[in-house]
Amino acid sequence: MDIIEYIKLVFTDYTLRTITLGTAILGAVTGMLGSFAVLRKQSLLGDAISHAALPGIAIAFLLTGAKDSNTLLLGALVSGLLGTFWIRGIISKTHLKSDTALGLILSLFFGFGMLLLTFIQKQPNANQAGLDKYLFGQAATLLESDVWMMAIVTGICLLVLLLFWKEFKILLFDADYTKTLGFNTKIIDILITSFIVLAIVLGLQTVGVVLMSSMLLAPAAAARQWTNSLSVMVFLAAIFGAFSGVFGTAVSASQNNLSTGPVIVIVASIFVLVSFIFSPTRGLLFKQIRFIKNRRDLQLHKTLAFMYNIVKSHENISHPHAIKILNNFQGYTKSTLQKLVSKNYVTLNGSMWSFTEEGFKIASNLYNQQTDNNE
Amino acid sequence: MSSAQLEIQLIASLVAIACAIPGTFLVLRKMAMISDAISHSILPGIVIGFFITQDLNSPLLILLAAVTGIITVILVEYIQKTGLVKEDTAIGLVFPALFSIGVIMIAKNANDVHLDVDAVLLGELAFAPFDRLIISGVDVGPKSLWIIGTILLITIGLLFAFFKELKVSTFDTGLAASLGFSPVAIHYGLMTVSSVTTVGAFDAVGAILVVALMIAPAATSYLLTNELKRMLIYAICFGVFSAISGYWVAHWLDASIAGSITTMLGFLFLAVYLFAPNKGVIAVLYLERQQRTEVSLLTFLLHLKNHTEERERHVNHLNEHINWQKVRSKTVLDLAHKNNMIQLDKNIVSLTEKGEDFTSQAIDYIITNQDSKIEHMKDDFFLFRG
Repeated sequence: MDIIEYIKLVFTDYTLRTITLGTAILGAVTGMLGSFAVLRKQSLLGDAISHAALPGIAIAFLLTGAKDSNTLLLGALVSGLLGTFWIRGIISKTHLKSDTALGLILSLFFGFGMLLLTFIQKQPNANQAGLDKYLFGQAATLLESDVWMMAIVTGICLLVLLLFWKEFKILLFDADYTKTLGFNTKIIDILITSFIVLAIVLGLQTVGVVLMSSMLLAPAAAARQWTNSLSVMVFLAAIFGAFSGVFGTAVSASQNNLSTGPVIVIVASIFVLVSFIFSPTRGLLFKQIRFIKNRRDLQLHKTLAFMYNIVKSHENISHPHAIKILNNFQGYTKSTLQKLVSKNYVTLNGSMWSFTEEGFKIASNLYNQQTDNNE
Repeated sequence: MSSAQLEIQLIASLVAIACAIPGTFLVLRKMAMISDAISHSILPGIVIGFFITQDLNSPLLILLAAVTGIITVILVEYIQKTGLVKEDTAIGLVFPALFSIGVIMIAKNANDVHLDVDAVLLGELAFAPFDRLIISGVDVGPKSLWIIGTILLITIGLLFAFFKELKVSTFDTGLAASLGFSPVAIHYGLMTVSSVTTVGAFDAVGAILVVALMIAPAATSYLLTNELKRMLIYAICFGVFSAISGYWVAHWLDASIAGSITTMLGFLFLAVYLFAPNKGVIAVLYLERQQRTEVSLLTFLLHLKNHTEERERHVNHLNEHINWQKVRSKTVLDLAHKNNMIQLDKNIVSLTEKGEDFTSQAIDYIITNQDSKIEHMKDDFFLFRG
């Protein structure tokens, strides 16, 4: 299937259009809120919440007996919030650390959810099949109404985000200062956490419990590499998230036997990898290049300094010296000498070298920082 | 109780012990979430191993999965070292990616692989007794019993051999390094044991519930004790207790054994979290309340000491001056009165000799911050017990 054909299909085919739209919106909203989670050092909260939502789904089904996705998501929301606040309770009231609290709630809630799910499966009720789609997610089961639901929640998120932007931002970077300004930090905190929980719960149906945390983290972690500004980061994360959704859906639709969730996660991870390597300021590649360049500069300066020490005992600074005497100096290579020549610091004459006027001036001021050494 | 039931309980208990030992150290080293990451990211290792051996219990598969676990740890540490993201983000990025690769590998080969993601993640203990290990025609017991038994023996052996090293490097990495134990070697040793245990346990209890068996008993016992040996023993007891009681709950509800073991662990933790003598929530809340009252008491006494005028010491004035609510001021007044620190005379409050003494000692403590000044007060007041 070529690309143009696929794009046509996206607009005409109901299922494909729904899934593509759904994953794109999901990616955008999780990317947006994920930025806050990452910056608040709550990256793994998403993992814990998505697992903690499972018993809520099961209990909602047990109570209502219906498989209406909105009811189930409400259950997931309640149990996700419960998990979140218990995590906070553990961290603030006992000496257990945050990693232990997260792992505890994650595994205990999930285990309880499994108990309920297996209990439900044994019930004589034909309606229960398909609850386990929430474990790994099935984008194929998305309906247009689900997409509308996601769009509405995303709209509310966006509105609240814009409305309380200043508060969110200041709480993120300086919680104590926020308090002194008279903001109610607790309420802002609960607001942002609740929205994170909401976004996670929305994604359960599409990518599932296990992979939901990645949807939250990966776009935000990728966006973080390209900017130092919060608004740009949130915007970029939303774009990365949406693209992961669209590409992931495209890849999984073009192949047999590929579930959408894992493919979206892989695409998002590729975004992260590319950002880690190629980001201009923080990326590993440019960091390495800068590192090598700095090392070369240093070697050049060392050679220059060594030459200066030889030359300064002579009255005539242009007095020629044999290249041979440089050989037992560590920083010296043919290329560094060549570079010095090309900068017109040194002139070569057969197997002899001598300083130029300019070279001597640079070399004598090398460690005085009177000249601009950033070359 | 049939022999299959007995075997299931035995396997569950052994898994619980094998998980509790490395789990204790993970909790103490603040690396609990690493166990979650390992338990997910071993999936590609298991799948590759399964492609090669076609046997979920083969040693090669366990080895490959353990290697994937170590790779996860190394990857997380590498990403963390680049400084591009924080540690927890690094964990959260690595394991879903590896897990997705595993899921996709299973999906692409779904036709010729009898391996289910559900089975890997959730496990099913009830089937464990049916997979027998037969040596030269003699049935010697369920395979998973032998696997987890071997892993447990190795873990216990390593624990006894390296207990001192583990202890020192857990609580003081710098000291361990200066004493000549390599903290790095211990770290990776612990990671290897955790990976191997996770793999060995996953087909019995499932990958996610391994995390519960690792973290929950250790966290529960950490709320009860501060001593490493006792913590290990408590953790093992909690693990075994939930394994056996969980089995019977599952039997009664006809539901997943692993799920009900975890639920039992959850109830245990909840109970200890609420009722632990010194570190439980109720104890902490009580302590905080007492401390708040005593801080108020101290403020009150200091106010009295500072003011000799009668006007300042009238009960009604105190009410508005220190700006407490009525109930609060009454509690404080009663407390002070009961301790013979103040005397009331026509609604005028004044300090007694004991109150004077107490207040000056407290001031001394506040100014010098020396513990010796208040040694004898610790018995009466929570505030000074810290």
